[in-house]
Amino acid sequence: MSSESNGPLFGKLIAIKDNISTGPSTPSLATTAASNTLRKHASPFAATVVRLLTENGALIAGKTNCDEFGMGSHSLNSAYGPVKNAYVRGGHALSAGGSSGGSAVAVATRQCWAALGTDTGGSVRLPAAYCGIVGFKPSYGLLSRWGVLDYANSMDTVGILSRDVPDARTLFRILNRFDEEDPTSLPPSVRARLSSADAGEKPDESARNARALRIGVPTDYCLEELSSPVHRAWIRTLNRLQDQGHQLVPVNLPSTKQALSAYYVLAPAEASSNLAKYDGVRYGSRLQDPPSHQEAEADKSGKSVLFSRYRGEGFGDEVKRRILLGAFALSAAAMDNYFIQAQKIRRLVQDDFDRVFASPNPLHTASSSSSSPKPSSAQKPAHEASPPQSTRSKVDLLITPTAPTLPPTIDDVRQQDPLATYTNDAFTVPASLAGLPSISVPVQTAGRPRSGAAADGDGGWGDVGCAGVQVIGQFGDDDIVLRMGEIVEGLR
Amino acid sequence: MTAPSNSTLRLQYRQLYQNSLRYSLLGTRLTHRPALWNQVRKSHTVITADHVPLRKQLKDEARRKKADKKASPKSSKTLDPRLSRWELTVGLEIHAELNTACKLFSPAATSLNAEPNSHVALFDAAFPGTQPQFQKATLIPALRAALAFGCEVQRKSSWDRKHYFYQDQPNGYQITQYYEVTIGIKQIQLEQDTAKTILQPPSTYLLDFNRVGTPLIEIITLPHIHSPTTAAACVRKIQSLLRAVDACVVGMEMGGLRCDVNVSVRERGTTAEGLSEYAGVKGLGTRTEIKNLSSFKAVEDAILAERDRQIAVLESGGEIEGETRGWTIGQTETVRLRGKEGEVDYRYMPDPDLGPLIIGQDLVDHLKDILPMLPDETAERVVNKYGISTKDARTLISLDDGDRLEYTEAVVETVMQRLASLPEKQRFDKVGKVVADWVLHELGGLLTTAGVPWEIQTVTPEMLADIIVHLQSNQITGNTAKKLLAHYASLQPVAGAAIPSVSEIIDASGLRLVPLTEGEYVEMAQKVMAENPDMVKAVREKGQRGKIMWFVGQMMRRGEEGRVEAEKARLYVERLLEV
Repeated sequence: MSSESNGPLFGKLIAIKDNISTGPSTPSLATTAASNTLRKHASPFAATVVRLLTENGALIAGKTNCDEFGMGSHSLNSAYGPVKNAYVRGGHALSAGGSSGGSAVAVATRQCWAALGTDTGGSVRLPAAYCGIVGFKPSYGLLSRWGVLDYANSMDTVGILSRDVPDARTLFRILNRFDEEDPTSLPPSVRARLSSADAGEKPDESARNARALRIGVPTDYCLEELSSPVHRAWIRTLNRLQDQGHQLVPVNLPSTKQALSAYYVLAPAEASSNLAKYDGVRYGSRLQDPPSHQEAEADKSGKSVLFSRYRGEGFGDEVKRRILLGAFALSAAAMDNYFIQAQKIRRLVQDDFDRVFASPNPLHTASSSSSSPKPSSAQKPAHEASPPQSTRSKVDLLITPTAPTLPPTIDDVRQQDPLATYTNDAFTVPASLAGLPSISVPVQTAGRPRSGAAADGDGGWGDVGCAGVQVIGQFGDDDIVLRMGEIVEGLR
Repeated sequence: MTAPSNSTLRLQYRQLYQNSLRYSLLGTRLTHRPALWNQVRKSHTVITADHVPLRKQLKDEARRKKADKKASPKSSKTLDPRLSRWELTVGLEIHAELNTACKLFSPAATSLNAEPNSHVALFDAAFPGTQPQFQKATLIPALRAALAFGCEVQRKSSWDRKHYFYQDQPNGYQITQYYEVTIGIKQIQLEQDTAKTILQPPSTYLLDFNRVGTPLIEIITLPHIHSPTTAAACVRKIQSLLRAVDACVVGMEMGGLRCDVNVSVRERGTTAEGLSEYAGVKGLGTRTEIKNLSSFKAVEDAILAERDRQIAVLESGGEIEGETRGWTIGQTETVRLRGKEGEVDYRYMPDPDLGPLIIGQDLVDHLKDILPMLPDETAERVVNKYGISTKDARTLISLDDGDRLEYTEAVVETVMQRLASLPEKQRFDKVGKVVADWVLHELGGLLTTAGVPWEIQTVTPEMLADIIVHLQSNQITGNTAKKLLAHYASLQPVAGAAIPSVSEIIDASGLRLVPLTEGEYVEMAQKVMAENPDMVKAVREKGQRGKIMWFVGQMMRRGEEGRVEAEKARLYVERLLEV
């Protein structure tokens, strides 16, 4: 082990989601993204985030189970079998959430100090909410994706699962580095513009830290699917923040309703492209049976039978479903109606956020100061025509529920239509589409202790007893998001 | 279209040469000289009418063809009477490997004959968790190529993924440029090359990923070509242009350049109605595409075969299907690969890892400044500047890697300096032409006869300039000038020994031309008259004035070379003959 004996993470066990490469220094650990296509695949290199952990003294506790390639909301779509939450309800195991369910359970059950996951549409925040822990998704581009297996790379973000917010902050500060291996890693020049870069030195930042914060409450998040225990926990949290002197401001995010649909067009589209490399030629497990002569001949004529069989045998159902969805969305006939429309919605979602946040989006600031016209400029006038949000109604942060319900039982999930499970991501997806920092923090549901106290009949843990509350901030406002997470955490 | 986070990244790390990969060919040589592609040109200017390169290439093709014909006595298909009824139209799509040190998206080195799979970065093999890292330096040769074709470089462009499954394509997609077509159609774009597949019979395929990710440029021409020979010449010309600007150095023969052709025929004199349109060119027949032609001969032969096939189908009342066809060297027919219904949907998608890249005008301008002048342009410039023939200009350019041209220019410059200090009377015109003649013919002939290679010849531009100036201002005779040149050309340089200058030699050897005095002219004229009384009679009595010039000629011949000036001689002859 290359642990630094004086590193800030010295001796701390950190679990790594199976879609993050652990490299040759941990030879016993394969990197398979819970997929049969990569069974026993040992990555020849370590992800930058893993390298940073070990360089700072951490010990890699192991790889954690997850949904195959991060595709799922309950960590049931795995080649290794389902992840089970430690919490149970009426003798039935609860969903751990997904796709980073294994990392969440490992943290909740104290098998490790903290864990890394990946969050594309809520895959760190949702399992954190279901397992009663903290899940933090930083701004897109802050944590390196080098060595992280792509699902939908315009949204894939390395996230942190921990027992409390200060631990998440500690890890974030270590991992928040420019990495030239990752073309989407924000370069130093952009980082310097972000508020989280040197919060203490910017006068307006320290002012913002000192004063009471303006908290946006998106009225569009009161979906009919929002269950009453979650709703109550959310409202109670908001009330107590108001009691502490923070100001609540109702805000409109009208594109929220289309965001989920857009996500489930864009993410599968990117997935269908990113997963095209798994053809069994260069790595991954070989086919069970060697190719027949006919298959080889058919391959020669460009029909790629071998690829088909390998992919057919290797991928699980959910991955196949999303590849097909994505391939369709990108096909010449459907491109304009799906992919292009979804990209437009993505832009609207980003504009919604920019309109309610008091601080400007540092990315857009940058492009408007450059001489090149903004690609979205054509859409600008539409917004300017609508009444501008007055400065008074602008907010520092948004607070929403993380998931619409408490964790369902695994049995319930299995009864659900696959598409119905997608609604779990309704509250987490908008921040993913916009690349914004957000954190899920557990808050008690009415009258229940936060964790592990209510023993169930069969000696396991009782029901989860808490719901996830999500804090969303403007791009680059990761520190403020973490600070508010800590405030929410302290309300208990 | 993509995440805002992406758009920032772009801004930052590509301040200098942000990538831009699509160059629209606005005002290009190729588009704006459509007539170039026709074999017959009508032009009013000498230069363009004498536009050698393509014509030369066409000639070469013709010569090659003749040779082929001799080799195989089969009758040539070009005499096919059907061609008076059907017109062929061809467009080219050329893929050329760029001359770069590294791959497009990884720092792995590009290679030609390296050990298989010895230059493969993690991303090249599509290892899970790897991302493309754009290599800025690959932009330089791409820009050079774009400039060589006179393209306008698009400031901003983006990367797209083109999906298809094949074992030579490890990511399952190729990164290329598809969207953001502005002027469209005629364009140069950058993309990644694939792996090499080597068949090991019976059914083993070996894959060499060295080539994966090597930057390619794709050059698409408008369908302006109407003969197989022209198409082949055009590919040759594109290759030589790419070579001239150092953009692509590996030729077709080494697999560095591959070509697809679009072929259609239409009945001559038909109207545009109901016919296809491609890239703004209207009235075309349905076209087929022939993929992956790897030699100039294959380009020509495949087009020829496909043209004949299409004509045969049409004449028998059939219809041409839009389809992709293949060609194998040695075959006489193209083979159907797949029809339109079997066309691959490449599911183009903007690459989320790669932001649009922006090329600064400063970079483009800089490259434009240092771009080696292309053969066509140089010839044009030399013709205009020195008033020499296009043939001589091209000879000068082609000799000794351009060194001969540089030498000529140095001589011209020195001559001009010398002339400035001479009295008006002694100056002369057409300096460029005189100098070019001396460099090419006198000096060139001397060296050829003596078997001296250009690199080691000893006549400096100053020496030649002095010789020419002395000759042209009547200070020495032509004979003397040639002797001086031969003297300098045969010099064996001795270290430390000063080489006497032209005027020093002239003076020391008494070679300077001294004009005849009046007395000498009279004396010479009287002598000629005395020796030829019949001629004198003819002039004096019969009034045959034409004979006067005979006397002048005699004097010129008798006098010391160069000393007798015809005008003066005539003056004295006329006076003495009293006419």
